[in-house]
Amino acid sequence: MPDALADLPIAPTRRPGRLLRALSRPATAIATLVVALHLLMAATAPLWVPHDTSAMLDVPLAPPSAEFWFGTDLLGRDYFSRIVSGGQVALLVASLGVTGALAAGTVVGLACGYLRGVLDEAVGRLVDALMAVPEFLLISILVLALGKSLPALAVVVAVVYFAGVVRVVRARTVALAALDFVRAAELRGESRLVVLFRELLPNLLPILAVEAPVRVSAAVLRISALSFLGLGISPPTPDWGLMVQEAMTVILTDPWLLLFPAAMLSSFVVAVNFAVDGFAAAYGLRGEAGA
Amino acid sequence: MTLLRVEGLVVAYRDPAGGERRAVDGVSFTLERGGSLGIVGESGCGKSTLARALLAHGRPGSRFAAGRILLDGTDILAASPAEHTRLRGGRVALVPQNPLQALTPHLTIGAQLDEVLARHRGLRGRPLRAATLDLLAAMQIADPTALAARYPHEASGGQRQRAVIAAAVAGEPDLLVLDEPTTALDKTTEAQVLALVQAQQARTGCALVYVSHDLRTIAATCRDILVMHAGRVVESGLTEAVLEHPRVPYTRALVAALPQLAPRPARSAPPPLLEAHALGFRYAAPRAFPFLTRRPGPPALADIAFTLAPGRTLGVVGESGSGKSTLGGLVAGLLAGHSGLQLFGAAPLAGAARTRPPALRRRIQMIFQDPAASLNPRHHVLDLVARAYIAYHRLATTQARDRAATLLASIGIGPELLRRLPGELSGGQQQRVAIARAFAAEPDLVVCDEITSALDVTIQAQVLDLMRALQRDRGVAYLFISHDLAVVSEMADDILVLHQGRVRALGPAEDVLRDPADSYTSALVAAFRHRRVALAPAPA
Repeated sequence: MPDALADLPIAPTRRPGRLLRALSRPATAIATLVVALHLLMAATAPLWVPHDTSAMLDVPLAPPSAEFWFGTDLLGRDYFSRIVSGGQVALLVASLGVTGALAAGTVVGLACGYLRGVLDEAVGRLVDALMAVPEFLLISILVLALGKSLPALAVVVAVVYFAGVVRVVRARTVALAALDFVRAAELRGESRLVVLFRELLPNLLPILAVEAPVRVSAAVLRISALSFLGLGISPPTPDWGLMVQEAMTVILTDPWLLLFPAAMLSSFVVAVNFAVDGFAAAYGLRGEAGA
Repeated sequence: MTLLRVEGLVVAYRDPAGGERRAVDGVSFTLERGGSLGIVGESGCGKSTLARALLAHGRPGSRFAAGRILLDGTDILAASPAEHTRLRGGRVALVPQNPLQALTPHLTIGAQLDEVLARHRGLRGRPLRAATLDLLAAMQIADPTALAARYPHEASGGQRQRAVIAAAVAGEPDLLVLDEPTTALDKTTEAQVLALVQAQQARTGCALVYVSHDLRTIAATCRDILVMHAGRVVESGLTEAVLEHPRVPYTRALVAALPQLAPRPARSAPPPLLEAHALGFRYAAPRAFPFLTRRPGPPALADIAFTLAPGRTLGVVGESGSGKSTLGGLVAGLLAGHSGLQLFGAAPLAGAARTRPPALRRRIQMIFQDPAASLNPRHHVLDLVARAYIAYHRLATTQARDRAATLLASIGIGPELLRRLPGELSGGQQQRVAIARAFAAEPDLVVCDEITSALDVTIQAQVLDLMRALQRDRGVAYLFISHDLAVVSEMADDILVLHQGRVRALGPAEDVLRDPADSYTSALVAAFRHRRVALAPAPA
């Protein structure tokens, strides 16, 4: 009998049709390709970059050549290798931080939205307080308190995005908790943990699927801004934010040094948002998730 | 003078295979200024899609493939998005099906009406709020100030729908499109709401398009009728003529499927399974300030007494706000904190389900009104039912799934549906799954809270048949709550009539219906008889 059940046809909405429909829009397809290239680049850069990213190999500010495709930077390092590797650390830190924010924010938001009461009131005020502080001010204070190590930066990202995730998850949970399937579970005598994680959590996954990439792209941008200000990733690590800052000094003589990291950063952020937008529309998630 | 002319309208949905499915297929009709047109048909016949099209609005994945919709001679489908925005809520307004989805959950009802009135009448500040309260008062809301301060989830179904109608008529539209607006309301509230809509029509001369699966409401409201099936108009004409002499078999089947107001033959009474004496309940009043303790509000139920014998059905009838769902909630264990005595066999029935002994929990089950909301949208059919076997009978997952598949098959949910999510089932199939989940517990009593009011008449008849068959086979008692006296009279051995939290009539169904002693009950029965006479269904 279990075998017979395993052979049953898969439900019709889990068809690949939606994926194809999303990718049939040129904007979504291009954006998805760009995001995929970025991720591939970040994951594999150390394996194939032509030169060591921190070795000084030539005269500073050498023009592009067969040896150095994008020329060299102020310290004579291969600019192409540094550009290709420049998203790695920011993306890693952003992903870790956002994962932390989503995990903690989902648990807290679920609990507040379902259990309500004093917990909800208290967390609500804390979230209000966190969101009342301008984001960049909060980041700067946290960096000054926790230091500039990569784990510390990930914690900063997690803290900064925690409040927003709590709000989105709590709002959706309140709406879901009003539905009768939650009453049905309560009547079965299911424990609160079962209601939270078996009944409610699966209904939040579509929102989290939108939240995660959008927040990672925003976090990459924040981390780059921090690095630009000297509060984020430290030299000699290749990082687009740092490269923009270094290139500022020679903006009048060698403007392309600024152009490459800026283009990489914006192409990543814009592509993530376009891709998420396209998939959210194809899967009918529009308007369900706040971003 | 013609207000609305629809010519050969085709609305097509993309289907997953890449082709197109025509939800509305070549529909044409005209509507006079100040006229009223009922559109009737089963769910999925395209009537809601047609209703949306009258606002030049297509659901996602649909497109207007052919035809024109002329409002005063102008094709609204060809208009610009900016013109559509002016059109909607201005010249054409929609009263949607589900008031809870139409209202924003995080704004009070007053704030939402303020927004609408500010836009249409340009009011601000104190005059704006005064206009909002006037509008709510015009909707026959007893205490407009209190309702305006409530959030949608704190209002009753009838109050929500009145608020939504208030928002729709605020812009004084030429055409009011009502999409199943009273499906979830009880008959007396429904009659009031319909009277309200008709009064608005008489005052402003607006035209009505009334979409419903309920022939009785359309018979009471609309001069003309359009019967739709599979996207096409199968019959149209004057409502009276069409219902008295349906020409096509489909219309005849619709008319014949209407529940009739006829009591079941009485049966002899065994000792009681459920008893209540002097039962009372108060909801907690809203907190005056966060963290303060909530005080009890006015009584929702007072001095209720009844008995229910094993294997029998007690029908509970009343309008929305009468306390009938509160009564169901107390028995099922959704609510805690009643006064008086409630007994289940020999055991006192107190507290929320979670605090009750597991055996007691298993013996009392509940089926909810809206199966789409009572089934977890992310769990497939098999797991929804198997979970009940796991929770109540402590079975292992594989065994629970086997039992669930067998039970589901016995009530018409075949193996091809087991891995579907609730959203991939029809309304009737969803309610069958919810029924299977309740019966998986092998209960002695099932609380049925408006279980057919979200369904079409034809599906409704099938679900009622299923419930009767299950009762016959398993000897389960039902506490059958409904606003629809006809449905209750088909199901119940005894009837309890509730009004404002108090018992107005209690007794064998036949006695209560044939010879109502109480004035409220006779009005309720008369309202139904009137409907039936107005309809005068042809013999099938």
